[in-house]
Amino acid sequence: MESLYHFAPFTGYAYPNESVIPWTVLIVVYPYLTGLVAGAFTVSSLYHVFGMEQFKPVGKLALLTALCFMIIVPVPLLLHLGHPERAFNALITPHWTSAFVMFGYMAGFYVVLLLLENWFVFRPDVVRLAREKKGMMGWCCRVLCLGSYDVSAKAMHYDRKWIFALAVIGIPAAHGLHGYVGFVFGSLKSREWWSSDLMPAIFLFSAVISGVALLTALYVLSCWLRRIPVDLKCLKGLAYTLWGFLMFTLVLEGVEFGSLVYKAREGTEMILEYVTGPLIVTFFILQFAIGAVTPVVLLTFMIWRGTTGKALVAGVTLSACLVLFSVFMMRWNVVIGGQEISKTGQGLLEYQLPIFHREGLVAAVAVLVAPLLLLWGMARLLPPWEQNAPSPPSVGNIAGGV
Amino acid sequence: MKPDNKTSFAARRAFLRKLGRTAACAGAAVGGGALGVMQTVAAKSEPASSQQSSLIPDYDWTKHQWAFGVDATKCIGCLRCVEACKVENNVSRDPHHFRTWVERYVYLEGEDRPRIDSQHDPVNIAASGSGGEYRFANRYQDAKVEKAFFVPKLCNQCTHPPCVQVCPTGATYKTVDGVVLIDHKYCIGCQYCVQACPYGARFFNYEKHVTDKCTWCYHRITKGLQPACVEVCPVGARIFGDLKEKQSPISQFIRNNRTRVLKPETGNAPNVFYVGLDKDVL
Amino acid sequence: MPKHIVRLIVLLVGFVVVALIAKSYFTDDSFYRYGHYRADSVPEIAAQEPAYQTPRYCRDCHSERVAQWSANNHKTVSCEVCHGPARGHPQKGKLPIPADVVKLCTLCHEAMPGRPGTQPQIQVATHNPNASSERQCIACHNPHSPKIKGVVAAVTGNIAEGKKRAAVCAGCHGPDGISPNDAWPNLAGQNAAYLVRILAAYKSGAEKDVMMTPVAQALGDSEIQDLASYYASLSCKEAPSAPGAGDAVSGRALAAKNCAACHGETGIGTNPAWPKLAGQKAGYLTNMLKAFRAGLRKDPMMAGVTRGLSDADIANLSAYYAGQRCEAIPEGGTKP
Repeated sequence: MESLYHFAPFTGYAYPNESVIPWTVLIVVYPYLTGLVAGAFTVSSLYHVFGMEQFKPVGKLALLTALCFMIIVPVPLLLHLGHPERAFNALITPHWTSAFVMFGYMAGFYVVLLLLENWFVFRPDVVRLAREKKGMMGWCCRVLCLGSYDVSAKAMHYDRKWIFALAVIGIPAAHGLHGYVGFVFGSLKSREWWSSDLMPAIFLFSAVISGVALLTALYVLSCWLRRIPVDLKCLKGLAYTLWGFLMFTLVLEGVEFGSLVYKAREGTEMILEYVTGPLIVTFFILQFAIGAVTPVVLLTFMIWRGTTGKALVAGVTLSACLVLFSVFMMRWNVVIGGQEISKTGQGLLEYQLPIFHREGLVAAVAVLVAPLLLLWGMARLLPPWEQNAPSPPSVGNIAGGV
Repeated sequence: MKPDNKTSFAARRAFLRKLGRTAACAGAAVGGGALGVMQTVAAKSEPASSQQSSLIPDYDWTKHQWAFGVDATKCIGCLRCVEACKVENNVSRDPHHFRTWVERYVYLEGEDRPRIDSQHDPVNIAASGSGGEYRFANRYQDAKVEKAFFVPKLCNQCTHPPCVQVCPTGATYKTVDGVVLIDHKYCIGCQYCVQACPYGARFFNYEKHVTDKCTWCYHRITKGLQPACVEVCPVGARIFGDLKEKQSPISQFIRNNRTRVLKPETGNAPNVFYVGLDKDVL
Repeated sequence: MPKHIVRLIVLLVGFVVVALIAKSYFTDDSFYRYGHYRADSVPEIAAQEPAYQTPRYCRDCHSERVAQWSANNHKTVSCEVCHGPARGHPQKGKLPIPADVVKLCTLCHEAMPGRPGTQPQIQVATHNPNASSERQCIACHNPHSPKIKGVVAAVTGNIAEGKKRAAVCAGCHGPDGISPNDAWPNLAGQNAAYLVRILAAYKSGAEKDVMMTPVAQALGDSEIQDLASYYASLSCKEAPSAPGAGDAVSGRALAAKNCAACHGETGIGTNPAWPKLAGQKAGYLTNMLKAFRAGLRKDPMMAGVTRGLSDADIANLSAYYAGQRCEAIPEGGTKP
């Protein structure tokens, strides 16, 4: 029989109540998902706000991806909560000193924002579908149209303004939505591994690179599935974005770790013993060497040599996949790693991942795969590659009005 | 020309229409917001004094400020306190969930770091006979021990509790008489408070799916009794009382001894005062 | 503004309004009353019934036991530590008496590094090598009065003076300290410290005997010392006493388990505060055991030891000890 709780074996000394590790793999998956949302939205705003034309092929895809992932974001949390039916307590009586309350309102706001943004961007397609489809699907589309099939120039103009406004609000909202996750960990006094002022920034930047990487991989995959050539300008744009943010992320993470080791506060000895021991594979090898340094080197090489064509596609896709993997390992190393180092600073615990448990491996994999399945379904319904979306105003036109 | 009048008239009408719509929307929003605000204001504005006397029968929480003391020089590590707490508070009888526990620090000859163990150590669990019984295994009886002592631990009921700060719902809170409690009917079980506590005092109650911790036996102290652990300690290593009473055991304990708290650098201002700690006590 | 924008705005505003209304509806009435929490949870938590009742609660019915307990060193150990919480007692039946006594007592009293020196501690393996059962601690230590008041100062009476005073005692205890009557004890060769203790107890009223009390009360402290020294110096003449009605063989087995720890295997113990039993009058032994059992003679240790003895057991024990040689045979086999 699956036991009601799993206790972690430990070496050294850990407080008795630390035997049961509170935050499991689902709490690794959750910031990973919100990070992907923030990153995907950043890419979409590069097109919709900053007017960078090279990102036009992925603009709609980015938004749809962000929406699909955002819908799944509450799932790992609900699976983790002791009383998921009371989850709304955080919204009904929000305790404003808690970072989690930020999630409740930010996420709620952000889901609405994403829904609206996607609704505006895909409106012409929905209107078309409402007219063409019959039955249940047609009825759904007609409801979504809010009874108006207006796709005139005037309507498009309003839509453009809303898209722009939403995208502008969406950038700080996305960053707030994910930055607070870093604050959740960084603000705690109880764990030396987490307690750092740089945590929100690290989480945010690693979120951006994960989102860019995801979009890169999805874009290349979608081109391959549609049997059309990859838009190299777009791909280069994504690669540059990934490269720039990745280097900055590495700097931040390096500074944070370096600071910790340099200050050598109480508990640092145990941290060093841990990262050079149990964590050496997931931390130095997987997260850094394979997942971060390799893509940086690879991208630098390709950019420096001006690689193009199939080689560029292969190289950038590989880098993107490695970065995706690296960011997941980063979340793992922070969340699980932090809890494996005892609050006493004198002990190490060993997290044991159950397989068929509410918070086990199967559940985690399902939560990671679900948004992709959702995206696949949505993309078939509302293909994000049609280019009849209202193009965003270029930067110069905004002030000029119509 | 007439068209100008027409367009200006149309423009005015359009503007008024816009204004009307905006006003309607704003009004709806304000109305809804006002509803919410009014409810909360109404709830808050009832005079506090009319409710206090009926909060807990025969007990006025404004008249007490509870505090706890631990004399680690006296503790013999018998673990009767651990047992009593589990019985009194229906804590699950396994060796991984404790509202209070005792740590043993042993310095062996030639070692500069103490060996620390507690009730969840597998050797001690084996010596106790079962997960529901508690005992320190006499594992150092044949070793060259230079120094050894026991330190009881429990929730410090901090004045600035980080656990209360991070709770998203308000399920954990500090009472007027100085105890941090958990509302088991409101907690959503996110375990953020378990992470935030630097002392490891909180744990997840897997039977009720909420978090749990020592409450200084709030149900006893509000009836004039002492916490169960204080009651059963045979050597007087645990002291409890009311700081508002100058002659209470805790007031005397603090006055007569040089006391310390655990992890003062966190700024939590704990309310469990220790005598007899050592440099390596965690 | 296009229709769909208007409808969208209306939807959004409506959603916000509904959310705010829901928020205030679902907020518990007692929330925010004293702070950011549900005020009703405080009395809910405080209403829980305490399990441990404190010794004050036990005193009402168990006054004698509580009095005994509060006069000795275990007065800091609450009744409920060993017997469990008293909630529901006596309505729900008796509280458990610990079965595995060694396991319980050693929790506090096993010698362990880290225990302060002020805590009485023993090496479990060597503390009492004679006894073997899991109840061995209480063979000697009454758990409600565990400290054995057996340490006595050396007796320094004057034997000659004692002999003079003993003329009065001879009427019952015999001219040589060997009693003519099965009910009155032999005194010859008895431990001096024990004699001092028991005479002092009769004198102070701690023990009561219709004949011994007036006798003892007429004695001064130095006279008690002298008498004790005198009788201790007498030889008990090795002769065992008549066994009486009991079965000495059964008595031997009982004695080994219950008595030998303090009184020695043959009734010659090591602690001078405790009486020698070897060769003592069977009738006297029987009377005394019954008196301890009934609480007429007040010794907490003996009360515990005799509690479970039946009349037959007592008779057997008396028979066994009465039949023992009252002086130890030294090595070599011959008396010096």
